Amino acid sequence: MQAIEVENLKKYYGKIRAVDGISLSIGQGEVFALLGPNGAGKTTTIEIIEGLRLPDSGIVNVLGLDVIRQPRQVKSRIGIQLQNTALFQRLTVAEVLELFRTFYPGQTRNSRELIDLVDLGEKKDTQSRELSGGQRQRLSVALALVNYPEIVFLDEPTTGLDPQARRSLWDTIRQIQKSGASVLLTTHYMEEAQELCDRVAIIDSGTVIAMDTPGNLIQQNFNETIIEFNTAGSRPLDGIFHGLAGLTRPEMVKDHHVTLYTANTVATLGSLMNLSERGEIHFDTLNVRVATLEDVFLKLTGKTIRD
Amino acid sequence: MKTIIQLYLANLKEYRRERMEIFWTLAFPILFMLLFGIIFSGNGNTTFDVGIANQDQGSAGAGLIQAFQGVSVFKVTTGNESTLMSSLKKGDLTVLLVIPPNMTASIAADKASNVAVYYDPTNQTTPQVVLPIVSQVVQGFNQGLTHQPALVVVTPKTVTAANLREIDFLLPGILAMSLMQLGLFATANVLVQLRQQQVLRRLGATPLPRSMLLISQVLFRLTIGLLQAAAIILVGVWFFNVHILGNPIILVGIVLFGSLMFIALGYLISGLARTQESSAAITNLINFPMMILSGIFFPLTLMPNWIRPLVDAMPLTYLADLLRRVMINSTPVFPLTTDVGVLAGWLVVCSLLALRFFRWE
Repeated sequence: MQAIEVENLKKYYGKIRAVDGISLSIGQGEVFALLGPNGAGKTTTIEIIEGLRLPDSGIVNVLGLDVIRQPRQVKSRIGIQLQNTALFQRLTVAEVLELFRTFYPGQTRNSRELIDLVDLGEKKDTQSRELSGGQRQRLSVALALVNYPEIVFLDEPTTGLDPQARRSLWDTIRQIQKSGASVLLTTHYMEEAQELCDRVAIIDSGTVIAMDTPGNLIQQNFNETIIEFNTAGSRPLDGIFHGLAGLTRPEMVKDHHVTLYTANTVATLGSLMNLSERGEIHFDTLNVRVATLEDVFLKLTGKTIRD
Repeated sequence: MKTIIQLYLANLKEYRRERMEIFWTLAFPILFMLLFGIIFSGNGNTTFDVGIANQDQGSAGAGLIQAFQGVSVFKVTTGNESTLMSSLKKGDLTVLLVIPPNMTASIAADKASNVAVYYDPTNQTTPQVVLPIVSQVVQGFNQGLTHQPALVVVTPKTVTAANLREIDFLLPGILAMSLMQLGLFATANVLVQLRQQQVLRRLGATPLPRSMLLISQVLFRLTIGLLQAAAIILVGVWFFNVHILGNPIILVGIVLFGSLMFIALGYLISGLARTQESSAAITNLINFPMMILSGIFFPLTLMPNWIRPLVDAMPLTYLADLLRRVMINSTPVFPLTTDVGVLAGWLVVCSLLALRFFRWE
């Protein structure tokens, strides 16, 4: 049995097709990410799977249960972290956690264990309204772990966190995975997906445009090296890179940011230098690197994820 | 059950830590009490000046005057009608009774006589305090004449012993107002805030049944209603020597009943309002007219007739009347069945509509 099975999920808001025929299958113990820009339909999708929203059509099975028919049974076996929820403002971290324990019929983690999991020990007696954004986010993740969930849903868990807090949350997610639970998370941080996930689904305009392991996605889309630079000056760049040595596909130009894909880094760099010497182009910064999920996203959707 | 208790305790804990909540639900009504108490406690042991113009020559007129002189809160002045009428107009008299000529003869002939009572309706205490006593005195006098068994002699004694003052009337009114505001400000506005902060949504992501959440919230608010009643009554008793009559269990029942009705109204508003701003606007729009028009600060007799349909539709009118009836044994404006019936009607209608319109997100 798969942890989550979704078939041809649709949810329209008027003319906006928030979710437009998404199908997913997520295995037990898998860490899976829905990757996409804001407004791509990630949150709507995850909330339908959690049973918080009803789809217009489609089938959603979670742990073998029909979410639409048995939402309560599903909710008692999964853990949910929502985007920007304020909690009981005047209760302390430990009090909120103890309160949530009483909502679940089965076994629950005690508040000390939860506090350790998300590293909030110093704040356990602080009222939740006095927590910083990152601390609140960690509390929110702890709440998703109260009932030893078989699947943990994390909606943009690291958005708004500083790099250190993000890494500490990544550790928590790895610990969740070690406990045997599946994790379904949404993010628009490519590196996060690359770092944590067994598989990712790239979502754009309510549809899945690619789904695989991060490594496979990169390999299938890029055998090449990426050369990136900013151009100075307002000269039009149309056609300027045409016929440049080693290029495998057309360049991507956004404002003054140029991305070239090459099978022969040395040759491409050489011909770029020639362009520069002839004064046809001015570099600001130049960066040579291997492809990442971000490049896959750019290639598949024609836009950067933070657009 | 354990979950309901835990949620209820969590609500209380949050309440205890929220100073603004405590201010609006407890300190505000107490301040109201203190303010009005100080303003009105000046006429503490009021006696009411009663003028009697006796146009009857016989024993009946004299007997009636004697009956009035026997009432400790009445200071009786006799004289002719026109002199006394001008004193009434100046405000020196609270009421003026005119005993018709030939009353003695009429009584002897078994015919009814009409004792006219003049009073100034802008004086709040007159219709509510003095007139009942006057009619009770007259009734007692009547019974003496007709030698009917005196079945209701206890009542005039209670009323006069209670020595009703402005503050005695205000206290049940302020309590009723507080219970209304519990439903408006501490229910509707708070729920909309919880919804906007997505707390309700987060709770909806757990297997917690919504009925449990609802029950715990209502229990919590009923507790606040009882706390408000206790605080207001204690301030009244300690500082202003207000006598609370009536059965305490019935009083608790009415406080819970009234709170429940306004809490249901609060849930309904929270379902209709989309934002905290619109909720604040709606609650204020309801609060203000109810405060002014429900006979809490101004007697209902002062209201112009055209506004009476509005007054008669407002639940606070009946809750205040019901509380006064029980707490200070005042003469009710409406029959008991009307008070209870209208409030029950509001409770049922608000509850049904609230269930229909309530939104968790």
